Amino acid sequence: MTPHTLLAERRLPAEIDTMAELEAYLNAALRLEHATIPPYLTALYSLHPGANSDARHLIRVVAVEEMLHLTLVANVMNAVGLRVDLTADDFVPRYPAHLPSGEIDFLVSVQPFSQAAVTTFLNIERPAKAPNESSRLLPRPDLGAGTVLAASPIDPSRRFYSIGEFYEEIDRGLRHLDHLYRAEGRELFTGDVARQVTAEYFYSGGGEIVVVHDLASALKALELITEQGEGLGGGIYDGEGELSHYYRFQQLQLGHYYQQGDVPGRPSGPPLDVDFTAVYPVAIDAALADYPAGSPVREAAQRFNGTYGDFLAHLTAAYDGEPRKLLEAVPWMFRLRDDIEHLIRNPFPGRPGVHASPVFTRAPEERS
Amino acid sequence: MIFPEGAAARTDTTDVAGRVYDVVIVGAGISGAIIADRLSREGRSVLLLEAAPADDLTISGYETYLNRFYGTAMKDNQAPYPVLPPVPMPRSTDARPLPPGGGPNTGGYLVQDGPHSTDTTYTRVLGGTTLHWEAKILRMLPEDFELSRRYGQGLPWPLGYDELEPLYREAEREIGVSADIEDQRYLGLHYPPDYVYPMRGLPASFLDQTVAKGIDGTSIRVGDDEEIPIRVRPFPQGRNGIPNPAYDAGRGFTPVGAVSTHQVEEGGRCQGNNNCVPICPVQAKYHAGKTLARTLHRDVDLLAQAVAYKVHTDPENGRVTRIEYRRYQDPQSTAYETGFAQGRTYVLATNAIENARLMLASGLQDRADLIGRNLMDHAYLLTWARLPEVAGTMRGTNCTSGITDLRGGRFRRDRASFSIDIHNDGWGWATGAPVTDLLRIVDQDHQYGFGLRRSLVDQVSTQLLLAHMIEVLPDRDNRVTVDPRYRDELGNMRPVISFKVPDYTMRGAAFARDLSRQLFGKLGAEDHTGYDPAEYGYVEFGGDGYRILGGNHLAGTHVMGTSPATSVVDDHQRSWEHENLYLVGGGSMPTIGTANTTLTSTALCLRTAKHLIQELRRQDRPVTLATIGAR
Amino acid sequence: MILDDFVAFSSEVTGFTEFDLIGTGQAESYLRTVTEVVGERTLADLLDAYRARVTDTGDEQARAGQLTGAVLGDDRLGPIARNIIKLWYSGTWFALPDDWTGRFGAPGREGTFNASPQAYTQGLLWYAIGANPPGARAPGYGSWASPPLIPALPPSPVPQSVRTGS
Repeated sequence: MTPHTLLAERRLPAEIDTMAELEAYLNAALRLEHATIPPYLTALYSLHPGANSDARHLIRVVAVEEMLHLTLVANVMNAVGLRVDLTADDFVPRYPAHLPSGEIDFLVSVQPFSQAAVTTFLNIERPAKAPNESSRLLPRPDLGAGTVLAASPIDPSRRFYSIGEFYEEIDRGLRHLDHLYRAEGRELFTGDVARQVTAEYFYSGGGEIVVVHDLASALKALELITEQGEGLGGGIYDGEGELSHYYRFQQLQLGHYYQQGDVPGRPSGPPLDVDFTAVYPVAIDAALADYPAGSPVREAAQRFNGTYGDFLAHLTAAYDGEPRKLLEAVPWMFRLRDDIEHLIRNPFPGRPGVHASPVFTRAPEERS
Repeated sequence: MIFPEGAAARTDTTDVAGRVYDVVIVGAGISGAIIADRLSREGRSVLLLEAAPADDLTISGYETYLNRFYGTAMKDNQAPYPVLPPVPMPRSTDARPLPPGGGPNTGGYLVQDGPHSTDTTYTRVLGGTTLHWEAKILRMLPEDFELSRRYGQGLPWPLGYDELEPLYREAEREIGVSADIEDQRYLGLHYPPDYVYPMRGLPASFLDQTVAKGIDGTSIRVGDDEEIPIRVRPFPQGRNGIPNPAYDAGRGFTPVGAVSTHQVEEGGRCQGNNNCVPICPVQAKYHAGKTLARTLHRDVDLLAQAVAYKVHTDPENGRVTRIEYRRYQDPQSTAYETGFAQGRTYVLATNAIENARLMLASGLQDRADLIGRNLMDHAYLLTWARLPEVAGTMRGTNCTSGITDLRGGRFRRDRASFSIDIHNDGWGWATGAPVTDLLRIVDQDHQYGFGLRRSLVDQVSTQLLLAHMIEVLPDRDNRVTVDPRYRDELGNMRPVISFKVPDYTMRGAAFARDLSRQLFGKLGAEDHTGYDPAEYGYVEFGGDGYRILGGNHLAGTHVMGTSPATSVVDDHQRSWEHENLYLVGGGSMPTIGTANTTLTSTALCLRTAKHLIQELRRQDRPVTLATIGAR
Repeated sequence: MILDDFVAFSSEVTGFTEFDLIGTGQAESYLRTVTEVVGERTLADLLDAYRARVTDTGDEQARAGQLTGAVLGDDRLGPIARNIIKLWYSGTWFALPDDWTGRFGAPGREGTFNASPQAYTQGLLWYAIGANPPGARAPGYGSWASPPLIPALPPSPVPQSVRTGS
């Protein structure tokens, strides 16, 4: 392939022209991948123990794979010599957060498992391609307080048509920058390989970590993120034969598992059961300030909030040169599980019929 | 691992009666599953007869086991599995002391004729005892195969370590073993130069590390002219860990996780549930269902709820003609219909007790009168102590490390070798800890609140239990028999067990007891070991009392050898007297050394599978007598 | 409310906070279990004795003496109190001693049993020593290689609701 033909095939990014812009995008990608974890975990642990086995396994796998996605973005950043930091005050979004689904936006809440939660999960993972080049980036409607995910980090008044298009932009940006660097005789992928998280340090159950050292592996890492979410080329499976997140969640609505050979919307595997009543009615999008001061539940929520911040700091260290630390992330996540479950089983003080909820977002008063 | 939907019920008595399979296998545990897998991979038709009920393997079905375990107050090693009238199974809770002259204990499934009363078990569910096994998975030592020649003990093996070595590797792939090769080169254990285990070793527990700090490098005098330095060493584990990228010449290894009829991602890695026995909640531990799931995608019929009743043979030539089985419709009822299964070859893959039981119940004792004899099981001696500091007991897999240096040595001329497990579940096996500690602290010490919490940390997190797995040699009088007076509810004759712990073993036990005193001393640990004469398993030896518990490592009841005068099967596990019959599994092992039996038994089954593939091919070849003559 | 009283008493005798106990999700189930075995009246007597006679919130020793005098040392209430502790710690209701049933009547449910499958998975016994109930609440690969994380005791043995009078 000559440079000429490469150029002819190159679809240019809308906004990524410099390393700084790439960094802004990759940071936005970190936030986006992380932003789905609190809603998934809350829904998962709101399930009554001993009930909803099918839903439990489905959500758990997706939540763990979101951790994989976070790690893949970190690998891309390390490969191009960027630093990863999950400890910024506004790293965890304020919920409900906004996500695009084509022309319209939807809200992502931290909420109990419910029909609405399943709809949200489907929205998060829905495959959506912009109908044409000009609709990839759309003007952002004014939506109030929540964090807007998949917005352009360069021009906050615009957001992408879909998460898929957001990643498409990074894909194009990487190709474009790689091309520019080469033209100048420079190397884009100069990161220290020792900073890469390898399969030895991260285990997700489904989907293997991609070690990033050049353009091809960087694109492969990003491809895995979108394929695990949306499926490959309109199919229900990703490139490794794993059912994509969107179709996993769709099984909850359609009442059957997919199996090999199925087409979208018509799962022909064994039936599955969902019991939307066997769920703790946790408070939706609770903030620390919502809990009565001095109450044990408030103290526990605060403690959890601090622990979660420590967890993100630990992940940051792992993504910032000490990949071995990621091995401890698994026991850490299991401890977070225990903390979340304890909170969720306690009633929300002063709100009859509502249960406490973990608060992931850092409280304003604690922001420095 | 996807289980093919409907595979558990795609055949029935009528269909089975209408087919002659290449191989009919009795028992869908690890041995049966692996032979079925290898044969079906070659395009051979296989029937698996399974005594237990079998639904399609699913996550929710597995969780039924788990919930039964959660829900029962008596958490013995069969607790997760259903007790069903047509397929009774041995249970440790059925064991009773056997006073001399008191007659056999007929209260459990095993009729125990003594003098020793064993609490050994096996599990009659789809996948067999691999559902409840601990999955510690050691190879036998090279010297274990030469015990008879080198030390004048036990029965001779018809094959050696070097012949089994490649099969050990194949078994380690099938089961998915986690270990670091550098820890596993001792006492002559050898591997090809580039070999690594499929997955890296599981980290040693904090308890292991505490013990190692105190005893590594200690030299133990094992005989007048023999001293052996010891150290704490990790065990190979049949559970999923971190895949080793260097495995298989750099191709790596993909762990096999939970089995279900739909795609699941669970069990790809151990989570430290500390519940390997009786059930790994996430299926990170190997169980034969993983092999069965793959196998049932092929021409393999599984007929469940079919309890083998009789092996029929042709009196002229001894060949097996069919297996008669009793099939129950309702697991809660003992109503059954009789069916017959026919094959070109037959494999009995139940276990050492059930294989012998079925042969004897069919009236097929061999001429050398060896079937059912030489029953072996590892003898476990437990010793326990309290460490001077919190060691974090009760965390990890059941057992991550132990002391294996005394598995071999010249002392074996005189007394049994043993391997020592450091139990991460504390004194549980010996005393029922930590629940019994709770009861004592609350009911007797009258502690509550903070005092209770502190006492639990002091008394439980400091527990150290050493389980000595002691070699037991074959002895003609240790045996399985049948007796028409003792039948199960389906009319099958139950196994009658006669067993005495051999003196050779007891000399090893006495040495082990002394050794643990030394080790506890070095660790500054307070010895709490005690054996109650009123409990089953109590053995007096040399003026001292011991308690010997069963290991569920059953072997020896159809030993392999080089001649029908001294063995039941040949080195391919083929019956000398019934040429189309194979008796497989631990029962074929002439000695058991100090390795949990499954890996060796699996290696032997892989060998049998290779032989059967060739044998069936040979039989398929057109008869060529005429051409031979023409040349 | 009887549930609140039951949890407050349980907090005092288990050494865990009311938040921790409710956090197991088992409080209602255990209240039902105890009520089923010993009856509403006996349980009410126990909780009344606790409320009325265990009143010192300043001096730990004095409070311990009151607790023993009112409940733990009482022939009728003591064994029930100890069974409540064991229930929270293991998820199992242990059969009351024979001499108890001889003196105070047959229980509403005989024998030793688990309150529910989930009760076992929430046993405080393992939580107290920084471990997991075998087969449940997995701690994650490799966690066992580090020293145990033994949870700290609450700041006060007196239940929060008693201290704040809520």
